[in-house]
Order: sequence, then C-alpha cells, then structure tokens
Amino acid sequence: MELGAEIAADYEDREPILVASLKTAIVFVADLSRALPIVHNLDFIALAGYDGNGGGGRQVRLLKDLSMSINGRHVLLVEDIVDTGLTLNYLAKTLLLREPASLGAVTLLDRPYRRLVEDLPVRYVGFTVPDEFFVGYGFDQDERYRNLPDLRLLKHAAERA
Amino acid sequence: MPDFQAYQGEGEPRFANGVELECAKLLDYYGIPWAYEPRTFVLEQDEQGRVVEAFTPDFYLPEQDLYLELTVMKQSLVTRKNRKLRKLRERYPDVNAKLFYRRDIERLAQRYRLDLAS
Repeated sequence: MELGAEIAADYEDREPILVASLKTAIVFVADLSRALPIVHNLDFIALAGYDGNGGGGRQVRLLKDLSMSINGRHVLLVEDIVDTGLTLNYLAKTLLLREPASLGAVTLLDRPYRRLVEDLPVRYVGFTVPDEFFVGYGFDQDERYRNLPDLRLLKHAAERA
Repeated sequence: MPDFQAYQGEGEPRFANGVELECAKLLDYYGIPWAYEPRTFVLEQDEQGRVVEAFTPDFYLPEQDLYLELTVMKQSLVTRKNRKLRKLRERYPDVNAKLFYRRDIERLAQRYRLDLAS
C-alpha cells in the first residue's frame, strides 16, 4: 500500500500511534498497519454518531476512549472518509487537549468539495471520490455490507449480496 | 425550538424551513459555532444607490469564516442562486461562501439521519 510507505518515511523512528475511529475504519487500519514497516501502536476511539437530535444541549460524545496515553506521542488519526470534516474536527480538538507531540490524519476516502470545516490535520489521502454512496471494506448501509472485501457503489453491492 | 449551545447570534433564529433547522442542529451537535443570516451582502445598486439585489446566506461559521447557503431546489432550478453566489464572489472576493445543493443535503441526511421532512 503506497500510503504505508509514505507514512513510514515520515514517521520513521517516531513510533506513532494509529488511532482508528470505529467502526468503519477497522478494515482500512488493519491493512494500513500491516503495510506500515515501522514500529507503531494501535488504538481505537468511537464517537456517538449524530442521531438527528442535535441542539438542546445534546452534543457529540465519546462512546469509547483511547486505552493508552497520547501525551508526547506522535498520533495519526485513521479515518474511513472525510467529507464535512465535522467528526475529524471534533476528534482532533479533543485529542489535542491531551498534548500529543504531533497530530495528523490519514483518510482512505476524501470528499473535499463537501467541507464545512477546513482547518483539518489531513496529511494523507487514499482516494478523492465522487459524490457516491460506498459500501464494503468496512463501509455500511444500516450495518450491512461491511464485510464485502472491496469498496462498491451501493447499487452494485445490493445486486451481489 | 432546541436550546442551541453553539449559536452565536442574538434572539431566536427563525428558520425558513426544516432543512435549515436540521443543519443548525447538526452544527450544534458537533460544537461548531454558527450564526443564522447575520449579514446581507449588497450585490447591485441602481444609480441612486438603492439596493436592487442582495444576498443573505443562511449560515455563518465564524471559526471557519465561512458563509453557507442551503438550497433544496432541484439542480436545474438553482441557476439563480449560483448567479448570486458568483456575484458575491466577484463583489466580495475576500468572503468565503459555499452553496450546499439538494444532493449535498440529501447525502448529509443519509449520513447523519437528518429529518428533512419537517
């Protein structure tokens, strides 16, 4: 995986922590980790997804926090997709409060034309994708199709499932 | 009306439709400060200096310095809004503005389970 080589070159001798946000990014981080030929750690974080009930004091919260300290460590957030940037912005702000040595992000897919938040730490992008709905390779539709081995447009996945 | 936490305006925002309300709730959920229609941009004036065309974007995100206009019209009917946005950029080149189309909003709704029917 080209991303692995690129990240390895930048993080050699820094022993980064890959922090993947659950659940969609699990397949990507599993492949990325195995393609990263440098010593690194893995950890996971989960945010409560928006359920249509924002406002009224309801704000995003962590469902699962990291299991290790990132203070003074080099952290690379692993995302499945960045579009509006709302989720990544929240994660980055939250983790920066813990004073890592550095904070970057890698995303498998990117939709830069849908950004609401621009100031994001995205350093590595797998693919810039059109405005289509993907499933497979960890991506779901109502928790289905995550197991498909590669990315597919939803209509194709439904035909093949 | 929800008790918004990240709202930066004065007085209760009066949204024109359910899509704007859903967008406000989404921004609030992620703690992105927002204001509703805080500024009207003059696009054209007649010879007497009277305003003949103006544009008031729906949202302003101060941390992003971004104006956001939502449209639920079909793609074929957004020509007027596109023209206004183009004029805005010509007349106010330092202003950062973005138009979210119906398709963008539907994708957001799909991802964040927004209730666009309200």
